[in-house]
Amino acid sequence: MGGSASPAVPGAASAITTTILLQFGGAAFLYAILKADHGWQVLTLLGLLGFGFYLLERFPSLGDYATASLARVPAVTITVAAGIVLGFPFIVGSNTYILHLLIVAQLYAVLALALNFQLGSANIPNFATGASYGIGAYVSALLALNFGVSFWLTLPVAALAATLFGFIIGIPSMRTRDTYLALVTIAFGVVVHQLLNNFDWTGGPNGLVGIPAPTLFGHSFADPLYIFGWKLPSQANFYYLAAVLVVLAIVTANRLHNSRIGLAWNALRADEIAAKAQGINVAWYKVLAFAVDAFLAAFAGTIYAFYVSYISPDNFTFLVSVTIMTMVIVGGMDNIFGVIVGAFLLTILPEKLRAFSDYRLLFFGIVIIIFLMIRPQGLFPQRLRHYGGRK
Amino acid sequence: MSVLLEVENVTMRFGGLVAVDDISFALDEGKVLAVIGPNGAGKSTLFNVITGVYKPTAGRVKFDGVDVTGMPSYEVVQLGIARTFQSSRLFSDLSVLDNVIIGMHTRTKASVLDVLFRPGVARREMEASVEKAEALLRATSGDLYEQRYRPAGTLAQADRRRLEITRALASEPKLLLLDEPSAGMDDTETDALVADIMRLRTERPELSVILIEHDMRVVQAFPERVLCIEYGKLIADDTFEAVRINPRVQEAYLGAAAHA
Repeated sequence: MGGSASPAVPGAASAITTTILLQFGGAAFLYAILKADHGWQVLTLLGLLGFGFYLLERFPSLGDYATASLARVPAVTITVAAGIVLGFPFIVGSNTYILHLLIVAQLYAVLALALNFQLGSANIPNFATGASYGIGAYVSALLALNFGVSFWLTLPVAALAATLFGFIIGIPSMRTRDTYLALVTIAFGVVVHQLLNNFDWTGGPNGLVGIPAPTLFGHSFADPLYIFGWKLPSQANFYYLAAVLVVLAIVTANRLHNSRIGLAWNALRADEIAAKAQGINVAWYKVLAFAVDAFLAAFAGTIYAFYVSYISPDNFTFLVSVTIMTMVIVGGMDNIFGVIVGAFLLTILPEKLRAFSDYRLLFFGIVIIIFLMIRPQGLFPQRLRHYGGRK
Repeated sequence: MSVLLEVENVTMRFGGLVAVDDISFALDEGKVLAVIGPNGAGKSTLFNVITGVYKPTAGRVKFDGVDVTGMPSYEVVQLGIARTFQSSRLFSDLSVLDNVIIGMHTRTKASVLDVLFRPGVARREMEASVEKAEALLRATSGDLYEQRYRPAGTLAQADRRRLEITRALASEPKLLLLDEPSAGMDDTETDALVADIMRLRTERPELSVILIEHDMRVVQAFPERVLCIEYGKLIADDTFEAVRINPRVQEAYLGAAAHA
């Protein structure tokens, strides 16, 4: 292979070392920021992160080398990642607050990956992801409360209901684009929120209370988890469940991205008229993006509902959609890894900035602006696809 | 020799403006046809009607025995009409290779369900697409092939045009519509373009080509049949030699006094 445009391919040994160092470094950083209590600790860590991204922006070859290393030894990458994800609750121990943050961050990662199909791949500004999330949560909660349906069965039902909703917003949205499309989706999001607030059978503003914890093979998710004699708090159940969902979302995103469907989305993002001239049914692909987004968001909603066991319309406001959108933009459009980093950063940061009490949101805004100034394309911008890696 | 494209009394009105006025012509398989005419004469509109971007106000378009009048453009591509645009419309943030692979959209089948639940099937199809796209690029020019992992937006003008034609060919068309391919090219690049089209015709003798051109160097190279359009009307349909000396054509281009 010529590989004219590809960067210097690292040798196997150095690739393995880089891969392991990078992943453990990332995990250590995550642990440090989760553990940080004082304002100065958080600021130091953010400064470090900012410097890291500055280096990446300044020397793009660093990023190329890192990605090439990770791609060179996929088995090592996946094993190490799995080890870190599985082992993290053991290191966190009995700190339920950190586990809670990690669960929420993972659910947001799924939501951000869902929105990424639209905003990142196809440049459809959908402000209704929060609504799909809510529909997933409500459908599964209602099924469980009224009909005693098990969590595992409500998952696909809620996903299908939300997908239907995706089609319903997708079809009228096809008649508009850009700013107008954004307005249509905002309207849908607000309508859903208002409906949840005003229907009797959704509990109105009080929401739904007492959603039973899921059980798996007789083990209730409300009970502590015992693994090899280690006792993990009950949150660990949901941590692992959310991790499975993130993996599912990554696999889905990856398969779609590397298929003709991902290419069709990218094509209509770049130039709709030219996309049509290549035989791409633009309207169908846009509706499809809405459907896939709603499908994944509903999974996240279901897990959320069963995790907190109490949902109300205020969990699924317009602001939630905006947050998800910010995660995609800050993390990097159309970059799976970037979107996940964006979701984690934007979930954990506001919590950690509590040290600044009243100035929390101000600091949050400033940090986001600084990161976007350092990396205008997002923390991890989209990359060109590379083929022929037949190894 | 069979008729591939039939345009019958096509009229396209935008409000009070008649962009295409009762134009009829037919094109046989494997033939090349050049369309000339002053700016705003309705040439590009005619392309847009043939490719389904516009539904004509009146008249019919038949392609390969099928009535394609008002058919959505993505279905027209499926039937075998591919086009390039006047101002090249590449997917500029995607790689050269991806642009060509997207051109194969109508010739690949993997659905969402295939992609998600039968990844092997989807991957094999994608691998085949990559191979085919690389072969197409190599056939167009080795230089373009070497640049296959560059974002298409960073290519030089001549390469952009070549890539657009390659992308159009990727859909395995029976009819190729080229909208002013020489726009923005200097003489050397134009000569290279003519050579490219010539080679294309010898490599694919069954492919029909319609070419909108302003540059007479290009039109001259394909003299067998030239249409001239003025104010939406077809004013000449003949060989290049005959069209060149046609007084109405001269008038259209140079004004009434020119041939006096």
